[in-house]
Amino acid sequence: MSNLKILVCAKRVVDANVRVRTKDDYSDVEIEHCKMSLNPFDENAIEEAVKLKEKSLVNEIVAVSIGSEKCVDILRVALARGADRAIHVNSIDRLDSITIAKILKKIVQKEQPDIILMGKQAIDDDANQVGQMLAGMLDYPQGTFISKLEIGTNNDVNVTREIENGTETINIQLPAVLTADLHLNEPRFIKLPQLMLAKKKPIESINLDEINITVKDTGRVIKVIDGKITKQCKMLTNIDEIIDVLKQKKVI
Amino acid sequence: MKALVITNKINNKFNPSLLNLFTVIKKIAGNSNYEAKTDVLVIGYELNNIVADIAKYQVVNKVLVIDNPALDHILAENIAHQIAKIVGNYTHVLINADSFGKNLLPRIAGILELGQISEIVSVVSPNIFKKFTYAGNILSEIESFEDIKLLTVRSNNFEQDEILANQSCEIVHLEYTNPVSSKIKFISRNVEDKLVNLDSAKIVVTGGISLESKENFDNIIRQLANKLNAAVGASRAAVEAGFAPNDCQVGQTGTTVAPDVYFAIGISGAVQHIAGMKDSKTVIAINTDSTAPIFEYADYGLIGDLFDIVPKLIQKI
Ligand SMILES: Cc1cc2nc3c(=O)[nH]c(=O)nc-3n(C[C@H](O)[C@H](O)[C@H](O)COP(=O)(O)OP(=O)(O)OC[C@H]3O[C@@H](n4cnc5c(N)ncnc54)[C@H](O)[C@@H]3O)c2cc1C
Ligand SMILES: Nc1ncnc2c1ncn2[C@@H]1O[C@H](COP(=O)(O)O)[C@@H](O)[C@H]1O
Repeated sequence: MSNLKILVCAKRVVDANVRVRTKDDYSDVEIEHCKMSLNPFDENAIEEAVKLKEKSLVNEIVAVSIGSEKCVDILRVALARGADRAIHVNSIDRLDSITIAKILKKIVQKEQPDIILMGKQAIDDDANQVGQMLAGMLDYPQGTFISKLEIGTNNDVNVTREIENGTETINIQLPAVLTADLHLNEPRFIKLPQLMLAKKKPIESINLDEINITVKDTGRVIKVIDGKITKQCKMLTNIDEIIDVLKQKKVI
Repeated sequence: MKALVITNKINNKFNPSLLNLFTVIKKIAGNSNYEAKTDVLVIGYELNNIVADIAKYQVVNKVLVIDNPALDHILAENIAHQIAKIVGNYTHVLINADSFGKNLLPRIAGILELGQISEIVSVVSPNIFKKFTYAGNILSEIESFEDIKLLTVRSNNFEQDEILANQSCEIVHLEYTNPVSSKIKFISRNVEDKLVNLDSAKIVVTGGISLESKENFDNIIRQLANKLNAAVGASRAAVEAGFAPNDCQVGQTGTTVAPDVYFAIGISGAVQHIAGMKDSKTVIAINTDSTAPIFEYADYGLIGDLFDIVPKLIQKI
């Protein structure tokens, strides 16, 4: 039996079902009144940690979220999903990826988890950076975009990663950073008693200025535009017309 | 400006995205007085042939090579430190946003504590780039403040330029100095050799959950794809249902495609799916529901039952 400790990351993001709009002056997106949720990939990360705990391979799951006070709501969700306790790093929302990674590094140094399990990407900026950055800073091995995780017997894990045209399997010594693909698992529905239980679990709050890092702006959003392109769809009435299109496009 | 492109070997050739990355370099150099020449860093094992091929391109200033058995299957841990030392000589470092580039470049960024801009789709100026956010709902223009701009690139958003291949430039073999990590080991790779790769395909045929079974998916979607010499795509719903493997998934979390022709067959057009195909030049959608959002992104639509339409289409081609 292993007694692993897992740190799971929980980012608060605009819900996947919301269609985000730009502000009138295009300076940024308007998310003030949007429904916010736990990043879907982080749901997979937490689900995996919980499954390992149910198999007695893990004995503690700590969730961490960085951002405004409202991240506490997201941490409650993580606790309801099965994390044992949570850490909220209180800061402005939307720090640069490199700053998030630096903060996580400090949390890792304090908590000493065996596995840092996070999403492969956050669905707001679709950056896909923080896990690899953190691993690089810590000089930990990384298993990115994983769709399968197996705990080994020698303080190691085997992970299957999603790559072009298939998968690859690698063996990693712990401690390590792992990032979840959506295919890792199917997050379960939260039941009411779990939500009640989550209210009793502890959330530690740390202010960003208590963490000794330099925050740097590596860039800025200049403007945003609606990314939606709407086409004039020409409705066809039969298969021959599809054939005509294919001929016209020199496909056949 | 001094640009570095990092690339690897795929199927004994250089990663084909390299030619698109050359276009990006030209765009960064733009109208300014920058010279649109770039250094290319190739990493891997047994690279001699591909190094010679890369050196021919006129846009290449110099090819740097790290050729070592330890890099036969590239693990970021076994090369990131060495590359981190090299990138200090450049203003722009570009890599294709595939599983190789997405895994490697942010690790280097972490080592150097530098910001990175992921999956750029357009170049505004040497400091300003565009990328999609919020599942493609938003196109953001981002300015980098860093002296070294680390960029992953959605290559299929950039054309392959007409680049002359008749020079021969300097080739520098670098000693492999990165320590080989004892903490990570490659075990196996399970990839299917495809006739047409999804991310670079000229034609893509995609099917959704409405195919109802893997058998139908094969008989209808794969058949049509074979007929058209096209790559096969799938919605996440179809992948989850086991109709097609994960690497066929098109969308926010799958592959991003930009083919000449995209067939969306029984696909509703969820934003996460659209995010992966909206740069397709011509989209043909087949769906029973005339109000399906996919028609807003399609150039041609046919309302009807795919089980009726597609087999007839296959016969007529
Ligand atoms: C974080 C996140 C990431 C995601 N990433 C992706 C992604 O990368 N890629 C992706 O595809 N999805 C992704 N999704 C899922 C996405 O939201 C949709 O659920 C999915 O794309 C729907 O797939 P579908 O079109 O096959 O199914 P449905 O939405 O169920 O649509 C089925 C369509 O088939 C039509 N139809 C039914 N029968 C027939 C018939 N006989 N003939 C013709 N038409 C028929 C229906 O009218 C309908 O329009 C993601 C979701 C989340 C939350
Ligand atoms: N503010 C944050 N708080 C907690 N975790 C985060 C935060 N930002 C990013 N992460 C983690 O990093 C992963 C990758 O995010 P990104 O690199 O921004 O796409 C997410 O899925 C989260 O697990």
